[in-house]
Amino acid sequence: MVTEEAAVRAPSGRSLHVTPLVREGDMVAKGDAVACLRHAPDVCFVAPIAGQVARLSLLPGRKLSEIVLFREPDGAVRQHDPGQADATAGLRRLMQGAGLWPWLRRRPFGGMPAHDEKPSAIFVMAADTRPFAPDPRQAIAGREEDFSRGLAALLRLTEGPVIVCQQAGAPLFDRGADDGRIRTITRGARHPQASAGICIHHFFPAGLDAPVWDIHAEDAAALGTLLDTGELPMQRLVHIAGAGLRDARTVWTHPGADLRQLTQRVVAPGPHQLISGSPLDGHLSRWLAPRHRQITVLPRETVHSRPHWLVSALTQSAGAKPAIPTAALSKAFGGALPAAPFIRALSAGDDETAMKLGVLSLLEEDLALADYVLSETGQLTAQLRGMLARIRTEFDA
Amino acid sequence: MIRGLWNRETVALMLLAAYLPLALFWLWLGGTGALAQLALAVLVVGIWHLVFMLMRAQAPSLAALTTALAIAMLAPEDLGAFRLVLGVSFGVVMGELVFGGWGRNVVNPAIVALSFLGFGFPAFSWPVFDAPIAWAAIPAALIGVASGAMPAAVLAGAALVATGAVLTGILPEQVLLAAGIVLVLLVADPVTSAATTLGRWINGALYAGLVTFFAFGWTGAAPVQIAVAAALLTSLAAPLLDEAALALWVAQRRRRHGRT
Repeated sequence: MVTEEAAVRAPSGRSLHVTPLVREGDMVAKGDAVACLRHAPDVCFVAPIAGQVARLSLLPGRKLSEIVLFREPDGAVRQHDPGQADATAGLRRLMQGAGLWPWLRRRPFGGMPAHDEKPSAIFVMAADTRPFAPDPRQAIAGREEDFSRGLAALLRLTEGPVIVCQQAGAPLFDRGADDGRIRTITRGARHPQASAGICIHHFFPAGLDAPVWDIHAEDAAALGTLLDTGELPMQRLVHIAGAGLRDARTVWTHPGADLRQLTQRVVAPGPHQLISGSPLDGHLSRWLAPRHRQITVLPRETVHSRPHWLVSALTQSAGAKPAIPTAALSKAFGGALPAAPFIRALSAGDDETAMKLGVLSLLEEDLALADYVLSETGQLTAQLRGMLARIRTEFDA
Repeated sequence: MIRGLWNRETVALMLLAAYLPLALFWLWLGGTGALAQLALAVLVVGIWHLVFMLMRAQAPSLAALTTALAIAMLAPEDLGAFRLVLGVSFGVVMGELVFGGWGRNVVNPAIVALSFLGFGFPAFSWPVFDAPIAWAAIPAALIGVASGAMPAAVLAGAALVATGAVLTGILPEQVLLAAGIVLVLLVADPVTSAATTLGRWINGALYAGLVTFFAFGWTGAAPVQIAVAAALLTSLAAPLLDEAALALWVAQRRRRHGRT
């Protein structure tokens, strides 16, 4: 399902300085570059649909906010030359020029990898355990050949392993001559076992000088298609769910899709809020974020009148309440790390202990479940973001 | 966004639910005397929580009730109201509230209060528990472990060592009963026991080992006194156990991955 409007947004993480390549009113083909990074013009953001540039909004400092497109029914599709990908530098240039680069994410610190970064390992996430997440197996069903080609291409980007995280079942790709560098790990079905950060922490921890990338299996298959046909497929499997819907459903749509249109006929009456991402780690948005594959619709909380002063004193007087180490908290980290010492290090701002415990492999989405379990509203994720920013300025300036 | 339910007060409620069988058996066998002691302890602990809420904007916690129950059950007998109030106040204020309330304390406030009473007023005799109350500690432990509020590894570690000690015959039955109650009420506290799995196993084993050691070599000590002393030393050692367990975990990861 292609929405009438779509937006190009920057991936989460550090805000990026860009150079717009189009002006308002221009016609673009599907896959055409609409902006590129100012300091690395190779890395492009591309239009997910063919259409007309409706609005181009930049934040101060020429940071990308959003570029909104109106769909044109019979627009063109941008063709790339897959022949240039025979050399590794050409492969990188193709991925960056075709707009696949923002679908990659690096750890530590998160965000899109730098244009010349060499990862120590690449995780391909063919499992997703977040609540209401679509099954990646379904997304790449029938595209095994593309997926294998994508894995082989990813293998050329790194000297380390390419690790496919999947759930129990049939193998997702045929094992060719990959000299054993493509590894498969099987994860359980309960969140956060297939959370990318928890897997990375468990099998190949990221370090300051050992970045680890992760990419969704569907995007790896898209890379395979790009190398085969020269055209980057934009469709992706997205699950729409949540308490604010009449019924949940799964749709094929594209990055930057308009959430209002996708949910138009299925929302329940009454005020609601649209969240791009899962109910645990999503954010309020009108557009589907570049890496997200879920849309959550929740009823909007009505604003209550102010509680009695004694009730406020009993419940809200102190700032954050301490986390009590329980079995629920350990399970929220999937048993990957000692939960209570990690949370204590995080809330005390003890960077060194947190780094020993593996904070560099983790991002906000990996801590979202712990936040949920502790009934907090984003304290842990905010503390993690603050700590990562601090570590970045200190060690990675 | 959505929120789960394991905040501080839920854990306190779960602990209260776990202690319910123990408390009911104790009140049933102890009668009005026990009830009066519990009421006094609850009153004093509640007043201190209220004082800290009004003076320092520190949110009170339902964990106050578990503290009061532990003190009321284990305090020396026939202390009189004044000494009990003094002991409870010292334990709750110096053991918990000055650190920022439940969840930030280093030692269990009930252990501090009981040690204070034991050291301060050695002439008063420690309570003796009948077998039914000690048996009630087993459902308490089961509820605590099933709800995840009590660390299972602490209980398992202690049970392992205690079984060995009972089989070799160096742990008398009276000490075993008192140690079981103290284990559930004071040692298996999620906040002040060790926080890593390995640390918790050692924590429980250390407690049972200390109880056995004291029962073996401390002549003239009452069973509850032995158990409380062991609990105090164990909770003081817990951060060290955690530190050691973490160092081991980090070293293992470093060997496996080359970094942490």
